[in-house]
Amino acid sequence: MVKINPEKITLDEEMSKRNLDKSSVTLLEEVKTKGKVWRDLSKKWGVENPDPPWKITLEATCDVLSEVSCALPGVERRWEEDELTDEHYKDVPFPERQLLALAHSMIRRGLIDEDDLKRRMQEVDKRLNMVE
Amino acid sequence: MSKNHKAAPMVDEVSEFEILELAVRELAIEKGLFTQEDHNAWTDYMHTLSPIPAARLVAKAWLDPEYKKLCIEDGVKASLEVGIDWINQMPTKFGTPSDYCNLRVMADTPTLKHVVVCTLCSCYPRPILGQSPEWYRTPNYRRRLVRWPRQVLAEFGMQLSEEVEVRVVDSNQKTRYIVMPERPKGTEGWTEDQLTEIVTRDCLIGTALPKPGKTANDKRYVRPAVNPYGH
Amino acid sequence: MSKPHYDLEHHVKKATGIGDPQCFKGEAGKAKFKVGDKVKVRDISDLFYTRTPMYTRGLEATVVRLVYETPPAEDEAWDNTENVEWMYSVLFKQKDLWPEYSDTFSSDTLETEIPEHGLEPA
Repeated sequence: MVKINPEKITLDEEMSKRNLDKSSVTLLEEVKTKGKVWRDLSKKWGVENPDPPWKITLEATCDVLSEVSCALPGVERRWEEDELTDEHYKDVPFPERQLLALAHSMIRRGLIDEDDLKRRMQEVDKRLNMVE
Repeated sequence: MSKNHKAAPMVDEVSEFEILELAVRELAIEKGLFTQEDHNAWTDYMHTLSPIPAARLVAKAWLDPEYKKLCIEDGVKASLEVGIDWINQMPTKFGTPSDYCNLRVMADTPTLKHVVVCTLCSCYPRPILGQSPEWYRTPNYRRRLVRWPRQVLAEFGMQLSEEVEVRVVDSNQKTRYIVMPERPKGTEGWTEDQLTEIVTRDCLIGTALPKPGKTANDKRYVRPAVNPYGH
Repeated sequence: MSKPHYDLEHHVKKATGIGDPQCFKGEAGKAKFKVGDKVKVRDISDLFYTRTPMYTRGLEATVVRLVYETPPAEDEAWDNTENVEWMYSVLFKQKDLWPEYSDTFSSDTLETEIPEHGLEPA
């Protein structure tokens, strides 16, 4: 006779509930609001690639954080991504959502600092928008 | 930047997301979480990935019963014949927590249909199948497929009769899976290249069936999981 | 008992060019179960980490394949690769996993891998 467990849940749901500070990050809220997503940009510029050029480098970052440094194991990053998406980034398309969740996890885990990130984004902005 | 990624801007406008991606990466490198070389190695590797080797593996197996046996027996060895070395092509040279070196090829029969999921996170046979699609990563798919596989398959447009056993494969440990669907009617006399074209990524996950003339995946809406359990 | 020596590079050295799980081949000893055996998934507690799905616990399944040898994920999460064991691919009836599963489709199944220590004879 099978014992019925009505509370049965999947493992990812159980594990993801641990220790995650899900409060919002001001900087990332700004990016979420101001940022132009690839879906719109590609349409505007008539580009056919379904993924932004930074998707591959983002994937590589996720991999090296897990495989090279063990700073953020892949399975934990994925659980946090699901939780944070649910909480803050539901309406953001993919892969923008994955990027916001990664930055969120890294800030909350103390791997990078929100103020440092803000400063660095300003620098990168200047560099990429430099008129040659 | 890695050698395969001289990003000539495809869109002449820099988005906040592009800036964020680069800023996160630069800070991580400065903090010593990884090096630029590590990152380049992985980026280069990512550029090599696609579902085509897995499609070719299935096409070859349709044409060669001996090769099909090898696929079922030893997926890693069978992958070599379509140019995929699970062990030595990885930047780590041994696999990783997300890409272990064990592939199983799940062969459908007229009365058995496989479909793959990873309920744990989103493990996927990247070396031979490329990056996973967005829907495969969602809690909606991961939680519902194990429990309501026929309903989920119906959403993908696949309705199977009760004579067909639906077998969900949960990729929760070190094995990664691809599905070898039945060769469809109307492909008699086709070459390996022709057959490869109709084995789409979704066919290899198990959520679609190959069909002559159909060479692309269907577009899918991605829905969040709303109360998917407990009722 | 000697103090265990944890060499964090050990796994990398061992697996490079050979593969994981291939690098543990031959270390698990004799397998406790064989193909066709009826088994039951033990509902054991794990410290922080496991890869044995909650929905399979306490339920019966049939061994369909001895897939590879490996330390269990519960140990590997702590960099402990000493206790290599057999990994089994086992087949559940959907009807056993989810009592509400339709009788019309009672032949439907689910296959997944469970390490030896997670199984007992049914």
